[in-house]
Amino acid sequence: MPVDGLRLEEISFHFDTAPTLAGVSLKVPAGAFVSILGPSGCGKTTLVKIVAGYLKPLAGRVLLHGTDITNAPPGKRNTGMVFQNLALFPHMSARGNVAFGLEARGLPSSEIRQRVEAMLDQVGLKPDERNRQPGNLSGGQQQRVALGRALVIQPSLLMLDEPLSNLDSHLRDQMRGLIRQVQRDTGVTTMMVTHDPEEAMAMSDLIAVMNQGTIVEVGTGRDLYQRPRSAFVARFLGLANIVDGSVIGHRPGSSLLVRPECLVINGEGVPFAGIGKVINSEFFGADVLVTVALGNIQMLVRGRPNIMPQPGTEVRVSAMPGTIHELPADGES
Amino acid sequence: MTLLRASIAILLPALLLVVGGTAAGAILTVRMSLHAPGAGAGLFEPGSVSLSSWASMGDAHHRGIVLTTILTGLGVSLLSTAIGALLAMLAAPFAGLRFMGVMVLILAPRLSGVLASLFGLQRLLPRGWIGSLIAETWLLVPYSTLILVIALRGIDPHLVPAARGLGASRWQVLRWIIWPLSLPAVALTLQLGWVWGFGAFLGPLFLGGPDQSTLAVEIHHEAFDLGRWPRAAAEGVVLMVLTASAMAAGSWRPRP
Repeated sequence: MPVDGLRLEEISFHFDTAPTLAGVSLKVPAGAFVSILGPSGCGKTTLVKIVAGYLKPLAGRVLLHGTDITNAPPGKRNTGMVFQNLALFPHMSARGNVAFGLEARGLPSSEIRQRVEAMLDQVGLKPDERNRQPGNLSGGQQQRVALGRALVIQPSLLMLDEPLSNLDSHLRDQMRGLIRQVQRDTGVTTMMVTHDPEEAMAMSDLIAVMNQGTIVEVGTGRDLYQRPRSAFVARFLGLANIVDGSVIGHRPGSSLLVRPECLVINGEGVPFAGIGKVINSEFFGADVLVTVALGNIQMLVRGRPNIMPQPGTEVRVSAMPGTIHELPADGES
Repeated sequence: MTLLRASIAILLPALLLVVGGTAAGAILTVRMSLHAPGAGAGLFEPGSVSLSSWASMGDAHHRGIVLTTILTGLGVSLLSTAIGALLAMLAAPFAGLRFMGVMVLILAPRLSGVLASLFGLQRLLPRGWIGSLIAETWLLVPYSTLILVIALRGIDPHLVPAARGLGASRWQVLRWIIWPLSLPAVALTLQLGWVWGFGAFLGPLFLGGPDQSTLAVEIHHEAFDLGRWPRAAAEGVVLMVLTASAMAAGSWRPRP
């Protein structure tokens, strides 16, 4: 039987009386990139702190590559972590920061030098930036140092706590690609905490959606986006039209999900669905978002930017074949 | 520029007071040291110019006083910084009301009043240099601790977990993270310590032995017990030079 990279068994924790984590279980295959996705306060950062060893669970076990590390101190787990605020040592150079973990392990200085330079090459920090202290580096350069510092110790598990939340959108796209590339190159099992569904879907092999201290659904980004099992997951991963109804022949009382980009306005060759009145149109550059009233139901339609119907106009709205997903009746949360 | 001008305008009276007051005090002290001592009840001979007060500054008695003053300054500096660092490390991790409680305990020597503290210490400690050193350290430790607590609490709370997670031991965290990041505050408390210690007065007065007088005590003795103001002023100038030299030495940093 293959050993999981990371395995969480019934992890429970609470700060005061209300449970922060209530029996969280998760299996992450070795070498996979998993994102813990959820709204603020759902317990995702607490979970990553438990995995890193900064908090001790009240119940449950953490297994890393088959070894129980629940009670091991952070420094004995061989995990690397990129903190949300990066937590770079401000009095050390970029090189010093990356060398820290190797020096703490007492490796020979020649090996430290060689591994630090190789890691800084891998994360793309230029030679003239390597002797600078974090205060003299840009946000993206600091991010590279933090990533290098976490990876140079060759961890069994890399943890990223909202690593891109402080970057502007352009830099975020760059760093997203870099993190994924380095993760693939090193093959390290990775766990990222994020509240950004796009970030999770773009980077992860697997996403675990959390809400109120529990994991509500685990799957690939595509599965969770297109075929979620609950309205919560459907709405959290993106804009969603959810209407009461069921597929003919199925159990009544369920809901139907159709994403705005799966609807078409005045489309040709698409089966007719209904006529509605445009309430609002918003321009986003790459696309437009149109709100259409179909009877007493409001539907969001994402369309091409060259078609922007004015409010008040009547339009024909239809769904592309195979894009309507039935949410299970007990999936609402 | 408007903000800069406003800042200067606000700070100017305070700057004038500090610079003017210090300069005026220093000039008057130097001037006084150059007068001849007064006969009978007079403090000095008006209009006289004399180096007689300075002639005694190099004698064995004064050399001993200067040595005691320097040793007291260095001793108070090192002791108060070391104790302050330990107390700051104990207090810094607390939060909220607990932190307030710990700080009240640390600041207790200042809250109870200097004289009350010294009378208490007089009963507990032996008279002599060690007693006066402990008394002065006792008075200074709350300030040193405050400076160091502020420095420790200013360190990003994620740095220690980050270092521990990378495999650093507690000792390595202290040596590689806490120590270098609190070094400016340690330098400040050392400097405060020796400036405070050079001017040590109450501790040596209450607990010092007859042969371990400091310059501040000797100045008081010359001026108020013996009425020799020019000589007290000459000793005051020596104390000023000593303190200024120590501050200059403490502010020196090697070129990067």
